[in-house]
Amino acid sequence: MTDVRFPELSKEQPGAEGVLATWFVTDGDQVASGELLGEVMVDKVSGDVLAPAAGRVRLLVAEEQAARQGTVIARVE
Amino acid sequence: MSVTESATAQAEPAVRRLTTARAMVEGIAQEMERDTGVVVLGEDVAKYGGIFGSTTGLLDKFGPQRVIDTPISETAFIGLGVGAAVEGMRPVVELMFADFFGVAMDQIYNHMAKIHFESGGNVRVPMVLMTAAGGGYSDAEQHSQCLWGTFAHLPGMKVVVPSNPADAKGLMISAIRDDNPVVYMFHKGIMGLPWMAKNARAIAPVREEPYETPIGQASVAREGGDATVVTVSLSVHHALDVAEQMSAEHGVELEVIDLRSLVPLDREAVLASVAKTGRLLVVDEDYQSFGLSGEIAATVAETDPGMLRVPVRRVAVPDVPIPYARSLESAVLPTRERIKEAARELVGA
Repeated sequence: MTDVRFPELSKEQPGAEGVLATWFVTDGDQVASGELLGEVMVDKVSGDVLAPAAGRVRLLVAEEQAARQGTVIARVE
Repeated sequence: MSVTESATAQAEPAVRRLTTARAMVEGIAQEMERDTGVVVLGEDVAKYGGIFGSTTGLLDKFGPQRVIDTPISETAFIGLGVGAAVEGMRPVVELMFADFFGVAMDQIYNHMAKIHFESGGNVRVPMVLMTAAGGGYSDAEQHSQCLWGTFAHLPGMKVVVPSNPADAKGLMISAIRDDNPVVYMFHKGIMGLPWMAKNARAIAPVREEPYETPIGQASVAREGGDATVVTVSLSVHHALDVAEQMSAEHGVELEVIDLRSLVPLDREAVLASVAKTGRLLVVDEDYQSFGLSGEIAATVAETDPGMLRVPVRRVAVPDVPIPYARSLESAVLPTRERIKEAARELVGA
């Protein structure tokens, strides 16, 4: 099982809060390593969330929901 | 894996969900891989990746020789694109906002659009002028216009206006491969950008391999027998929302035609639908007078006005500059509320 963390978009504020903008996959999908899972945003700067491993993805944060950088937002089982 | 399984896997094209912005980028990238003559230039297209995400990641993939940030001089870099195209390249030039065409209109209209004709057909200008259009986010009169009717009015340019990710990719590939200048207009509201208003229709399945979407062919975004809604770009999304509401609330089925291209215009698709429904509503986020909505109405009137059971309705921007204040802007844009009101009047619901 591999954790998928909210990427660090703001280096200056490591604990900055952002938003889970879009999930391109749905909960339970089979994903490949490196596949685009979603897009997050901190202060209008957006970044990609890529699958760190292959497997079944479990989404832990809903679209539009706030989350801090570095927190676990999904898992690949 | 058995032979049968392998054959099935090959028959189904690889598809994943993308935003419209990502689908456009994928189309450009695949053409850049295929043809070294395809280059991208414009303001903030390289390091920034396009302020509306239309070129994100291309610099990393193809380098600064082929993805070029230009100074803020639309006349200079659109002229550069015209010259490169005349010499055989296939440049994709981004005009950051369609509103800025005014400062470079000589290059666009007198050169890009006319060189093929002035040369007696001997010189081609295979370039793509891509540009962001549309409002709805309080960017006011100089950053919110659609203006596709203006480009479509002036002869010599094809004009494509996709509404969804799959068409955005296919029309981009078609535009790059086309030997004519193509103006590719993307509404900011369909791009699926995280910092704009959420739009579920801006994220949809897109095939991985390169493919062309034919320029000049409308699509039926939704079938229905009671009235025809002819529209383009973000208004397609609004029209589909309204169509779903009207179906649930009134049992009225709207047919939604997504024109996808204004030049060439798929008049047959409009006529075929109106022949079926007898009722026509044109929804256009461009200015009402002297534009697309009048052209569609004229197409029906010139062919067979007897097809119409009731007069044509239009929902467009009244002939005023787009206001900054959100309340005033909402009053002039073709919102779902305005579309629904007009559709209800059209069908008597």
